[in-house]
Amino acid sequence: MFIDAMGLILANHNRANLAELEVPRALAAVPFAGRYRIIDFSLSSLVNSGVKNVGVYANHKYRSLMDHLGTGAYWDLDRMQGGLAILPPFLLSGQREDGGELVGLYDFVHDATQEYVVICESNLVMNLDFGPYLDRLKESGANIAVLFNNDGDLAGQPYLILQLDEQSYIKDLFLNPKVLPSRDSALGIVIVRREFLVQYLELEIARGHSSFTVEKLLRLFDSEQILGLYCEEVVLRINSVTSYFKSSESLLNMEVFDRLFNREDRPIYTKVKNEAPTMYFPGNKVNNSLLSDGCVISGEVNDSILFRGAEVKRGARVDNCIIGQDCIISEGAELSCVILDKDTLIRPGVKLKGQPDYPVVIAKSMIV
Amino acid sequence: MARQEVVAMILAGGQGSRLGILTQYVAKPAVPFGSRYRIIDFPLSNCTNSGIEAVGVLTQYQPLELNQYMGNGHPWDLDRNRGGLAILPPFMRSGASDWYKGTANAIYQNIYFIDRYNPSYVLILSGDHIYKMNYGQMLNFHIEKGADASIAVIEVPWEEASRFGIMSCDNEQRITKFAEKPAEPESRLASMGIYIFNWQILRQKLIEDEANPDSDNDFGKNIIPAMLNEGKKLYAYTFDSYWRDVGTIFSLWDANMDLIREAQEIDLSDDRWRIYGRTPVQPSHYVANDGEAINSVLTDGCKIYGRVENSVLAASCTVGRGAVVKDSVLMPGAVIEDNAYIEKAIVGLHATIGQAVEIRPDESFGSSDFRNKLCTEGISVIASNIEVLAGSKIGGNSMLDPKLDPEGKVIATRRPGSLLY
Repeated sequence: MFIDAMGLILANHNRANLAELEVPRALAAVPFAGRYRIIDFSLSSLVNSGVKNVGVYANHKYRSLMDHLGTGAYWDLDRMQGGLAILPPFLLSGQREDGGELVGLYDFVHDATQEYVVICESNLVMNLDFGPYLDRLKESGANIAVLFNNDGDLAGQPYLILQLDEQSYIKDLFLNPKVLPSRDSALGIVIVRREFLVQYLELEIARGHSSFTVEKLLRLFDSEQILGLYCEEVVLRINSVTSYFKSSESLLNMEVFDRLFNREDRPIYTKVKNEAPTMYFPGNKVNNSLLSDGCVISGEVNDSILFRGAEVKRGARVDNCIIGQDCIISEGAELSCVILDKDTLIRPGVKLKGQPDYPVVIAKSMIV
Repeated sequence: MARQEVVAMILAGGQGSRLGILTQYVAKPAVPFGSRYRIIDFPLSNCTNSGIEAVGVLTQYQPLELNQYMGNGHPWDLDRNRGGLAILPPFMRSGASDWYKGTANAIYQNIYFIDRYNPSYVLILSGDHIYKMNYGQMLNFHIEKGADASIAVIEVPWEEASRFGIMSCDNEQRITKFAEKPAEPESRLASMGIYIFNWQILRQKLIEDEANPDSDNDFGKNIIPAMLNEGKKLYAYTFDSYWRDVGTIFSLWDANMDLIREAQEIDLSDDRWRIYGRTPVQPSHYVANDGEAINSVLTDGCKIYGRVENSVLAASCTVGRGAVVKDSVLMPGAVIEDNAYIEKAIVGLHATIGQAVEIRPDESFGSSDFRNKLCTEGISVIASNIEVLAGSKIGGNSMLDPKLDPEGKVIATRRPGSLLY
């Protein structure tokens, strides 16, 4: 597979809000689907599309992200040529607001050799092959393309609604409009000619701007032709606790699940943990749920997702929940519509109940 | 090359012929075990966890799958600048060339490899045992005793002692006598096939042994008895934790079942002694609304729509609606289609059990065409990459080998090729 593109993942999303889940980590590093971090989906999509050079632009709370990514070996990105580059801000004490935060990003893009850059925001759960989209951008002769689907405001705020002309170029762009001018909703995936991006970043630094977002790039539609490309694949956008919860739930639909995870030659990679397999002890009852390695199940689990190493003890009951890594649900506890971040202990007999559109979120390492 | 205090040599070249069809295309150490592992993961992880940095794996029989699985040793932290994993097949030499004739000959042919590390000690291991052991503790024992060689031993029941190499020891654990499979055992300390030697002494013995045309070039039969006869200091290091030889169909099945027995004799979730392996890239497993997993072990990529009971499932297995999997071991990618019933079966990699197939432990049930003396206790074995055709009925102790069904009445052979996930 050959694709003349480098990848760029923006690890923070300025407008998304995952409350407690985002407190200890960048959005890209938020755990998802039992054994992944959200960034795994962008990284795997890039790698499976043939991209061999990926930068991760991280501007805050990126310790856990760096721990997850390591050398990039799990994504085959530990390479002599290209590979994984983490691009933290280049901060000098006393010198802020002078474009310094963009210098690392600029250097990375400037020094690459590929013709195009595929940019992904950090809130995307998907399994895409970028090749065909890149081909269509090439054919059009434009410098920038953005992927969109018809989900409108389905994923919740922030949603960027596109108005496209007959040739599918952006005519107008709206952030969170109350009345939708169309259902065409931009996914945070942009393909741009590298030379164009280099010039853009040069100007941004010269202007003293210190942030780079997909939205800013799309706001160039006045002066640049920006091609909208329709994407019919499953793309889940994690913008809020509610969309996190609903997106997680949608994985229990095996059709959605297979379109994300069981694609020929397009596995989703993640950090290897070497947990023991999942143990199902007598007396357990599990229905319509995803479970990960290292779980120990003696209680009841319905319509839920359990991360690696979670334990549901005898007599405990878990309904419509997302149970983080290494959480323990003690005897007789009952949880319904609850999201537990990792390492949380639910003591015996504790009962917690959220609502499907307003789940209870328990922060990392809490004892309830 | 940087010196190493100890070099581990893992004997992984044997066929494991008692596993029948399961080792037809793969060496025994590459046989999947315990849902997430291959047998070789245990000695390799023990080496890493014991702090051993240089490991040689001697391969000979059907090495492709095993070599591909081990790769550069990365999953076990053995991709290193100093030491690391080396795969050591027999090779052509300018003079005489030979296959590995026996365990001792295999090490003899790799003297040059060990010499490059100039080690004080060499640890000899088998690639076909399931156990967690700190070889560092055994090395300390070896050094404290001032031994020339130390042999790890485990107490076995008296009635089984005649199946093993049996050591007799004095009060100081010094070995006074060694008997290979004695009819009337004097002790029940059985050799585990784990040896530590002072390298210079072993090196000399290997050269002498090679010069003896009557020798079988085997550690148990030749090297150890010869050293005892010479009055060398051999000590028995007693190991009293979980250890299983998985050389037969029954013992492989039984050791898998140990994972789900209440006693939990081997703890695989111990953070301080992880068993590492090359893991499949698969999502979390799914249990559907009518799916059930009772007293079982599952791992990534499985989809359960039927009933799984007292069973060990490897990655990416599917159990269809109305299907029952009982007391069985499924290897990676096995598919049990709707309404099939299998009990006491070992299902090979990517094998498919067609709709409504029945495999039962009772010998009087269904077809007896595939009965095989390697299968005991009612356990049946299904070869990798085959499909057992819908509606087939198979009785116990069967080995479903496509060669035994040339007309394809029961078995359809599907893609050969890689067995890796």
